[in-house]
Amino acid sequence: MPAARVAKRSGAPRFEERLLEAFSNADGPSGWESPVRALIVGAVRDHVDSLEVDAMGNLVARIEPSGGRSRRGAPHVMLCAHMDEVGFMVTAVEKDGRLRFRKVGGIDPRILLGQVFRIGQNGARGVVGVLPAHLLTNNDMNKVIPIEELFLDIGAASREEALQAISIGDLVAFDTTYESAGRVRKGKAFDDRVGCAVLASLVQKRPPVPVTAVWTVQEEIGTRGAAAAARRVAPDLAIILEGTASGESPGASPEEQQPRMGGGPTITIQDRSLMADARLVDLLEKTAKRRRIPTQWKRPGVGGTDAGRIALSGAGVPAAVVSVACRYIHAPAAYLDIRDPQRVVELVWHALESLRKEWP
Amino acid sequence: MKPRPGSLDALLKTLVPAYGPPGRETGVRAALRTVLRGVGRTREDALGNLHLHIPGSGPRLLLVAAMDAPGVIVTRVESGGTARIDLLGGRGAAEAIGSTVLFADGERALVAYDRPASGKEVGALDSSSLYLATGYDKTAASKRFPVGSVGMLEARLDRLGDQWRASSLDNRAGAAAVAAAVLRSGKIPYDLHVIFTAQSELGSRGAMTGAFGVEPEMAVVVELAHVGEAKDQSPVTLGEGPCIGLKEHGYIAHPQALEMARKAAKAARVPIQYLVREEGSSDAGAVRRAGPGVPTVLIAIPARKTGGPDSLVHARDLERTVDLVVRLLATPPVPKPVPRARTPRRGGK
Repeated sequence: MPAARVAKRSGAPRFEERLLEAFSNADGPSGWESPVRALIVGAVRDHVDSLEVDAMGNLVARIEPSGGRSRRGAPHVMLCAHMDEVGFMVTAVEKDGRLRFRKVGGIDPRILLGQVFRIGQNGARGVVGVLPAHLLTNNDMNKVIPIEELFLDIGAASREEALQAISIGDLVAFDTTYESAGRVRKGKAFDDRVGCAVLASLVQKRPPVPVTAVWTVQEEIGTRGAAAAARRVAPDLAIILEGTASGESPGASPEEQQPRMGGGPTITIQDRSLMADARLVDLLEKTAKRRRIPTQWKRPGVGGTDAGRIALSGAGVPAAVVSVACRYIHAPAAYLDIRDPQRVVELVWHALESLRKEWP
Repeated sequence: MKPRPGSLDALLKTLVPAYGPPGRETGVRAALRTVLRGVGRTREDALGNLHLHIPGSGPRLLLVAAMDAPGVIVTRVESGGTARIDLLGGRGAAEAIGSTVLFADGERALVAYDRPASGKEVGALDSSSLYLATGYDKTAASKRFPVGSVGMLEARLDRLGDQWRASSLDNRAGAAAVAAAVLRSGKIPYDLHVIFTAQSELGSRGAMTGAFGVEPEMAVVVELAHVGEAKDQSPVTLGEGPCIGLKEHGYIAHPQALEMARKAAKAARVPIQYLVREEGSSDAGAVRRAGPGVPTVLIAIPARKTGGPDSLVHARDLERTVDLVVRLLATPPVPKPVPRARTPRRGGK
């Protein structure tokens, strides 16, 4: 059944795929989220009651409850998705024009060789240089080259030439373009542009409880934006929207391959940073059952998100995470099933609806 | 015959077996509410901490004891009806082997492990080698122990000679001591807040937010110190009285708070030991750093680890810990409190 028809029947907002496409194609490695932020501002500015960028760079939107209802008696909900993506930073330029670079966030070094990257704000492209086969020893072929020994080649012949195109400190993103085939969407930075798009879709309709929507910065380098935002927003509870790693891997037993792309919203019970609030998880699960939305559990014990930071802010905040399971996150191109973000929008929307009645 | 209020034997019997793995402290919270009925107002906060407030006119004093106990979380159910798990707290995979795990609904399972290849030591195992033997087939096990189920290493209280033995004594012994001290205390010259903290096993998460919320002017944290944790210069011995913490990971004693603890011990005629440890830590560091910072006393009950999940605590040390805390609560505030930077408040000048 097309996602749009389901959405109409349930009263939940519709997931706006065009936003996912735009957000995914934009670049925003941690610390340089402004291109993504500008797109989000454009998408949500007409739907929210106030919009501001805080000192860290987080985008904070406040939305009063629907129907002129008072805030009293309803919990103040923080919805949160991070704008940044894992990437790299140019750290030095060699005399011969090659760039040295370092990771920003967690990336498997085995994926780097031969990759094409976008560098800085002027549209420079670079490729991670690979030595030709006849210059490699067998030993070299079998080892993973540490990033310190790799270089980015932008085709410059000298340092001077390179510095005309890029600057030291420029951030570097995968050069990947959004595409679709059937239900599958391919793109970069689905962690967490899918969350950003889910959140931007959710705020297009006024929820029954007061909401502060926050698109955070610097999640991938230690949930830094969320720390500042949580203190300021001081919500009664928080729901974090994420793109998370699918567990699918050929050859593994079926029970190890959880969660799966296309399996519905992925709910976190526990990870390295968070014991999700049990009542909130329960509410999400009940809402999903009532609305017949399939859900799955994130494998406990792995990963960490803004939720951990928000939960421990101030005198403590009940927090939960709802994610879209994506294949190959933190890599050049990820896959997701387009039904999943729509289901996340519906699940979170209906959870917000029941919060007014069911939250103590 | 009803035990007198604040009887440690009765408190231990109630608190030690109560269900309460990190993040799911339901049973122990309920048990504490029951034993503290009538003493003050209790409430549960966002992280699951249990707060007890006994209003008073003096400065805000915060008394802290962790109430969660080591647990496990099911990460997946396997085809044979066994379940893979991750540890929530505790001190390593090897110690959990052979423990019974109790779940909130009363289900039980046994912690087993994949025998390591020869030459590899059992002590070096990590949680990926552990699994739960459930006694069920896959269908039933998936129903009874679904992914995300949280269980606690089942704790049974035993008395061996002069010592108590149980797997949850860290820190149910501390919680019992705090409860006993509150129940035995008369009028207290403080505005007393007691927090039985949640999620301490996951890195003092409850203490961090709980202490922030109370904004205390001074705090006392009651914990356990295990024999062998401390450096050679200050070994911890069972039966020689409670330890006063000088330094541990993330914590260093506040000079005035330390002095107050020393004086209280002397006045209560409680022999004390000093604790300096590099490895272990407690909620004291999180409380010490909360908000603008809190002068904090760490009192640690000596305990012996057995290599398995159990700890041993000397009954006399426990009694003396209660005496010390009661005395501390009765000690009037230091006349010249340390000047403190105030947190700016909304609507302030």
